[in-house]
Amino acid sequence: MDPAGGPAGATAVRPTPLWARATTSLRRPAFWLVLLLVVAGAWRVAVILGDGFRIYPVATTVAIGLFALYAIPFWLFVDNVDYLEREPPLLLLTAFAWGGLVATSTAIPGNAAITNLLAKQVSTGFAASWGPAIAGPTTEEILKTLGIVAVVLIARAQVNSVLDGVVYGALVGLGFQVVENMIYAVNAVGAAGAGDQVGPVVTTFFLRGFLAGLWSHTLFSALAGAGVAYVVVRIDRPLWLRAGVAGGALVGAWLCHFLWNSPLLADGFGYGTLGVFGALLLKGIPPLLLVLLMVRHARGREAEYYVGHLAVLNDPGIATPAELRILGSGRQRAEARRYAHGRAGIRGRAAVRRLQLAQARLAVELSRAAPSGIGPSVDGAGLYATGDVARRFREVRTQRRRLLALGHPEAVASPRAQPAWQRWLTWLGTATVVVVALAVAIGALGGG
Amino acid sequence: MGTGRYRLLGNLLAGVAILATIVAISFGLPAVDRALPADRPVAAGRPYQVGAGVTVVPPPAAVVDVTKTRPAADRGSALFVLDTVRYAIVVTPFDGSLDQAATRLRRKITDNRGYQVLGDSRSAATATGVPGRQGGYTAPGRTGRYAVFVAGGLAVDVTISGAGPTLRDALPKITVSVASLTFPGRA
Repeated sequence: MDPAGGPAGATAVRPTPLWARATTSLRRPAFWLVLLLVVAGAWRVAVILGDGFRIYPVATTVAIGLFALYAIPFWLFVDNVDYLEREPPLLLLTAFAWGGLVATSTAIPGNAAITNLLAKQVSTGFAASWGPAIAGPTTEEILKTLGIVAVVLIARAQVNSVLDGVVYGALVGLGFQVVENMIYAVNAVGAAGAGDQVGPVVTTFFLRGFLAGLWSHTLFSALAGAGVAYVVVRIDRPLWLRAGVAGGALVGAWLCHFLWNSPLLADGFGYGTLGVFGALLLKGIPPLLLVLLMVRHARGREAEYYVGHLAVLNDPGIATPAELRILGSGRQRAEARRYAHGRAGIRGRAAVRRLQLAQARLAVELSRAAPSGIGPSVDGAGLYATGDVARRFREVRTQRRRLLALGHPEAVASPRAQPAWQRWLTWLGTATVVVVALAVAIGALGGG
Repeated sequence: MGTGRYRLLGNLLAGVAILATIVAISFGLPAVDRALPADRPVAAGRPYQVGAGVTVVPPPAAVVDVTKTRPAADRGSALFVLDTVRYAIVVTPFDGSLDQAATRLRRKITDNRGYQVLGDSRSAATATGVPGRQGGYTAPGRTGRYAVFVAGGLAVDVTISGAGPTLRDALPKITVSVASLTFPGRA
């Protein structure tokens, strides 16, 4: 609990007020402006890809299809990061569309202009080597961050925590990454000069989707998004500090992007394929770890807050102490579902999943009903006899009854769950396999 | 004015600020770029580094367009302008045959709307004996020549385009320049 008496992390989370409705956004000028920009961006991207389709219909279709599929697991992962307080799908789609349509179509002329100016003012060699490292981050990070600001302008009430900023930022970055890669793939087909072949598309898919995909725009914009959300959420902090954090996050995103695009270590220390791969890891892993640690911290703060609202109910029918301990952790929630599967089959797994979801929804509704951060009285169900909170209470109790009927009363992990050292060993093994596979891919695709 | 109106005004102003930034990047930066000249003189009679160690002696009185010139360690491009004739050289890593490189260049040309290659390609060679293929093409309002050379894991694509009489006048000088192409290790 916070010293103020509310759930822990109360100042780090600002629940969506009860008055907030999706239709409220329609009254905001920024909504119509964003809509206009998205339509204009869609037209410009359609023209670019349409040109590709006219000359290379098969390759362009494959490029669009492959990268659209590629976006799905990323989207699901990003959405699941904020399990307890899910963001409205329409707002997530807006963030994705901004990144894919507005930011990409605006960045193309901007990047070309900056690279040309470098060639004019410095030298053509400098523009060739450092142009992508200077132009790309400068225009693209600003444009993508504007997308997160646009989300705040449309639905400020939905940006409740730093984690929300990470989610919206990641979606803006994902949209940018996906559409940019589609354009790169079609350009690669043209550069190959072999006609309507899918080979260059597949090569681009592996090089840009996998080798560069883990530490690309999704990551950079997640960092910038955390900064924007900090400004919105942490109103307990002075404005200069919040602005400083947001500026620092944007600079951090710029630096990560700059490092990735820079020609530094491009020769792979002179060690061929392995050297190139080592250089990619050296450039990509520090930002990845930085953002993952930030997400972990932000998610922990948010989980403390929402789980705290369930904890003050002190009602094992709603959530047992063991369930409260695991609700904020994606890994432990998954372990609880696996344990239920082992004991009660697929129906047990589904019942635990539904109970966890119902508990999360109830926690969010309780937080909305008590925006001061002070939780409801212990007699929660009685206090909220009507409305959304009461509906969520009923939902949790219904799911609890289903779980009980399956002979599996509590949604917890197995007491014989895999110990931490085994999990780390599994991760290490998986990472090693991925590293070897990627090194082989680089070699096969001529990266050495 | 009530608080609600102030909020709406703030929302509008913030939206306008976003729009202004997008306009600045999308149109402002390109306008600044266009306002500055892109042509630079090149030293007469001296080899010019195109990229990946490939050099060429530019035609007399030619200028280089720095916005289309990008020398790099493993590839490169250069665009020379002679009057209104555009003389472009593109160097890329290439592990195929000369015929494959010629087919690739012809396809790149015809991928442009309204561009057509004229007949089959003929043999060509640089002054240092690197074999190549050359031919002609037409584009809306312009005619052009192309040449391609392959050596040392590199392909060099040359395209020359301009309006009829101007191109005719410039071609002899450019032909001499094309012959001056050198590849790394084949001086």
